Amino acid sequence: MNNKELYTGFKNMESQTKLMLTRFSELREAMNEVLEKNSELEIENQHLRELLESRSKEDHNPKTQPQKTQKHSESRKTLEKLFNAGFHVCNQFYGKPRENGEGCMFCDEIINRK
Amino acid sequence: MKFSIKRSAFIQSLNTVSRAISSKTTIPILTGIKITADSEGLILTGSNADISIETQIKIDDAKNELVIEEEGSVVLTAGFFVSIVRKLPDEKMDLSVSNDLQTTIKSGQSEFTINGLNASNYPHLPEIDTDDSVTFSGDIFKEIIGQTVIAVSTQESRPILTGVHFELSAGKLLAVATDSHRLSQRSINFSGSDRDYNFIIPGKSLNELSRMIEEHQDLEMRIAENQVLFIFGDTFFYSRLLEGNYPDTSRLIPEESTTQVQLEAPTLLASIERASLLSHASRNNVVKLTITPSDGRIEITGDSPDVGTVEEELEPESVTGDELEISFNPDYVKDALHSFGKTMIEISFSSALRPFTLKPTEDGDSFIQLVTPVRTF
Repeated sequence: MNNKELYTGFKNMESQTKLMLTRFSELREAMNEVLEKNSELEIENQHLRELLESRSKEDHNPKTQPQKTQKHSESRKTLEKLFNAGFHVCNQFYGKPRENGEGCMFCDEIINRK
Repeated sequence: MKFSIKRSAFIQSLNTVSRAISSKTTIPILTGIKITADSEGLILTGSNADISIETQIKIDDAKNELVIEEEGSVVLTAGFFVSIVRKLPDEKMDLSVSNDLQTTIKSGQSEFTINGLNASNYPHLPEIDTDDSVTFSGDIFKEIIGQTVIAVSTQESRPILTGVHFELSAGKLLAVATDSHRLSQRSINFSGSDRDYNFIIPGKSLNELSRMIEEHQDLEMRIAENQVLFIFGDTFFYSRLLEGNYPDTSRLIPEESTTQVQLEAPTLLASIERASLLSHASRNNVVKLTITPSDGRIEITGDSPDVGTVEEELEPESVTGDELEISFNPDYVKDALHSFGKTMIEISFSSALRPFTLKPTEDGDSFIQLVTPVRTF
């Protein structure tokens, strides 16, 4: 292998590595989005199930009034689930993954606000 | 420009302005120190984009032995220049700049000639022309910095959290910093100003400032649109302010608690330091605290699956409320405990998942540290 080939070889390898690096970060971002979407859908799914259940119950005994007070804590629960799934739910970092499972006092305040 | 000066006085001022100079700047001229000689003395300036420091060496201060033969200014690369001045042989030194910016430094038998840069290319310092200034005791301001700056965020994902939020209103000065995992808040009664202020200073600037304030020195502060200026002694310290609104932190601090522990801060600190020896070796850096009010005891445990475990029992001054098991990152609690010094503190918990507060038992509300626990299940 002469010097020129060596040089172009290295050059090619460098550009390939660079390409791979951008591919890596693209993939990581994409995965992040998918994860976020996934937990959103999971929660959405659970919601629908709960709704379905309450509807079918209502159909059976239509006398029970839908509880208004429950509604409020329901959305809190959603946030809490998102938080437990490893995402920030606070204004500061909304939707970003929580690192090392550490707590966040902004999220805590929102979930437990009175 | 031509002057002669006592080397030790010059070195001291060079060290002061060097704090602002970074070799990793994108603006090449900022790797230099600007030296200006005028009828009143020398002015040295150092800057990076965030902090600028200007200090004066007065001609009428006999200690400086300053003689100015010719006025003028030059910019000299800080790294070289400071090392040269430090290593010069004699107690005095002469510095002269020729028309082509060649700078000659003489001391004893030694003579250096280095290339200077044109001082007119040096960026202008921010102009802060405001009449209203606030004066603090340097000692107290330094204390406030030390107590709050530990909690600023080191991550650039939320730039505003890399600063300390100062709020001056209704005779109170409130300083808060948080990185969302812990929070530190200090408040003092302060009646030195009629105006209200609300600003955020980068933590890095405060660290530098705090190292420069000497004991029993007053600190004058002036605020402009996006800059703050601190004046102390012969030194002017400029810092950029962080723009934006600091998140509302007043609601973060819990008012109620179900478990309370009172003990000496250094006792707990030493114990947590021991426990963290092992937790640091583990992948999740966590120390567990078990509180049993009926026995009046607390137990601190740490373990690392690879290395081993540590257990330590403490008998605090008082333990009240419900039993509790809580896990936390020992580094946050260590930082918090360090800032208390030798005082009795009260730690209040409300549940294993909610943030807990640490505060001194005397004058409790003036200084609060808040730490979020770590979920271990």
